Amino acid sequence: MLTTTTALRFENVRRRFGRLSVLQGVSGAVGPGGMLLVTGPNGSGKSTLLRCLAGLLAPDGGMIEYTEGGESLDAAGRRRRAGVVSPDLAFYGELTVGENLEFFSRLRRTPPDRGLAALDRLGLPLDRMASALSSGMRQRLRWGWALLHQPRLLLLDEPFQNFDAPGERIARELLAEHLAAGGAAVVANPSTLDFGDVAGRLDLGR
Amino acid sequence: MRKLLAWLLWLWLSAVIVGAFLYAPLAKGFIGQSSRILFFHVPMAWVSFVAFIAAGVWSLLFLWRRDPKHDRAAAVAVELGLLFGVLATVTGALWARVMWGAYWNWDPRQTSIVVALLFYGAYLALRSSLEDRDQRARLAAAYAVLGLVVAPFLFFIMPRIMFSLHPQSVINAQGKVEVESRMVQVLLAGSAGCTALFFWIHNLRCRVQALAERKSALYE
Amino acid sequence: MWRDASTWAAEAVAVFAKEWRGEFRTRYALNTLGLFAFTTLVVVSVSLGPIGVSLAQGTAVLPVLLWIILLFSAAAGLPRAFVHEEETQTATALRLAATPSALFCGKLLYGLTLTLALEALVTPVYVAMTSLTVRSPGLLAGVLAAGGFGLAAGSTLVAAIIAQARAKGTLFSVLAFPVLLPLLLIAVELTRAAVAGDPADVALLQLLLYDATVTVAGFMLFPVVWNP
Repeated sequence: MLTTTTALRFENVRRRFGRLSVLQGVSGAVGPGGMLLVTGPNGSGKSTLLRCLAGLLAPDGGMIEYTEGGESLDAAGRRRRAGVVSPDLAFYGELTVGENLEFFSRLRRTPPDRGLAALDRLGLPLDRMASALSSGMRQRLRWGWALLHQPRLLLLDEPFQNFDAPGERIARELLAEHLAAGGAAVVANPSTLDFGDVAGRLDLGR
Repeated sequence: MRKLLAWLLWLWLSAVIVGAFLYAPLAKGFIGQSSRILFFHVPMAWVSFVAFIAAGVWSLLFLWRRDPKHDRAAAVAVELGLLFGVLATVTGALWARVMWGAYWNWDPRQTSIVVALLFYGAYLALRSSLEDRDQRARLAAAYAVLGLVVAPFLFFIMPRIMFSLHPQSVINAQGKVEVESRMVQVLLAGSAGCTALFFWIHNLRCRVQALAERKSALYE
Repeated sequence: MWRDASTWAAEAVAVFAKEWRGEFRTRYALNTLGLFAFTTLVVVSVSLGPIGVSLAQGTAVLPVLLWIILLFSAAAGLPRAFVHEEETQTATALRLAATPSALFCGKLLYGLTLTLALEALVTPVYVAMTSLTVRSPGLLAGVLAAGGFGLAAGSTLVAAIIAQARAKGTLFSVLAFPVLLPLLLIAVELTRAAVAGDPADVALLQLLLYDATVTVAGFMLFPVVWNP
């Protein structure tokens, strides 16, 4: 697996919802192997920023630039390539965990056996119906889904929510390995996570 | 300059109204003075048609450029199209009552105008159910383009399938006219005047809305 | 970025397969569509059947009622394709993973097969229960296929549009009706012709033209509707 140059840069990102100005000119950057930690109280715009970065929301103003392997990608490219973990990510309850993952790997056009190593470590019960998962297991499924296509950029919104201690440990390991391999990550969390060496911090608190 | 244009438009439309009653002759085959309504009904129906196309074109522009002013223009065009369309429908129904004894016959032209009104209503209902500005603009524009694409089937293909009570097209595709030239003059003048009126009101309303948006952006 | 055609097709097929797999497990659409269709069918044939409809009345009225049944059944069952995704919040995952055109294609094929299945069940029963004699069954089959296609294509796109709004139930009917009206009118006319045994080549071509137009519009507009 080649180490590709991954660089994300955003400047003066603005987003309003009706009269409420949620993001008022936010800037930041993260490079290969780096992690940008976005903190702030509830309602400060962390999720909104992450959605903009993921290409799920168009900002009202500002610029978002993402390069992967020397190739510059637009919002559609970010949607396709980034690995996203978010509390509002849900999967098909009428399908099993395995069927869900297989479906999405078909959509992403990755061979189904890729990303299996991460799935193994997360201990996902492939034969269980997705509707029958506990909230901790659902969070593991989100991580497994995000890593399915071996993304170079991880966008994580409250990534350790609902985790028990072993689950959080595995996720932290996966994140550390991702960064060590040259990937980049933007992590949004209400509180500052105990992460030691963090490349950049962005506090959206007022 | 604007004031001058406004006065000109006022004069033009006044001349059309006067001409409709005094200058143009009565059409053959119509009962009494009823053909006068033609000079109001036809321009309004025409403007309703123009509004439909304009909304579609502005929506396409928005989808291409993503400039909010195009979205605003499309929405205002639909509102005005609805207004003119309702007026055209009512005048048409009144005329139908005089001519054929029934307000409504579901002939192709009447059906077309009603469906156009349904489109306008649906577009406005869609807009009012979406709160996020970007989403509202995108989805409304998509629906308007869909309407634009489906419209030819309504306006042109359907009449050929269905039985028609509507009088022969006053100005048909080949440009031949079946009425006297004075009537044509008033009709054309009326249509031109109403079209100008449409774009005038449209311009005013767009500007008012732009100001309202700026005001609400300041007060947050 | 050009994506390989065969894998695009595989994506569309994956969506189609997922829809039907979910459908077989929950049987939501089949139940809704089926129940609605048969209820209206019973109402129609009870009020018209035993009384005995003359040929003239039959030719005039019954084709319309058939298409009304199909239209409202479709409105009951087809929007779910997108509304369900938004309501259960699986739409986010889909937005990140799927190619919009392949997604639309898969959903469209699902809607189409659902509509055709509905027609295949409803029409023979309808014809039997109302003692309708159809002089050109071939034409009828053609109208049902082409009309069903247009119904599915128009409904799928409108469903995608309203799925992100509030008041989705009523909004779907309000938006879909004007779009589908030309289709319905042509289809009713053609069905009448099929019952009476009249020729109707021009109208059938117009119906196919409508189908093509709405489908192309769907593919072009869906990415705009789906993604910001």
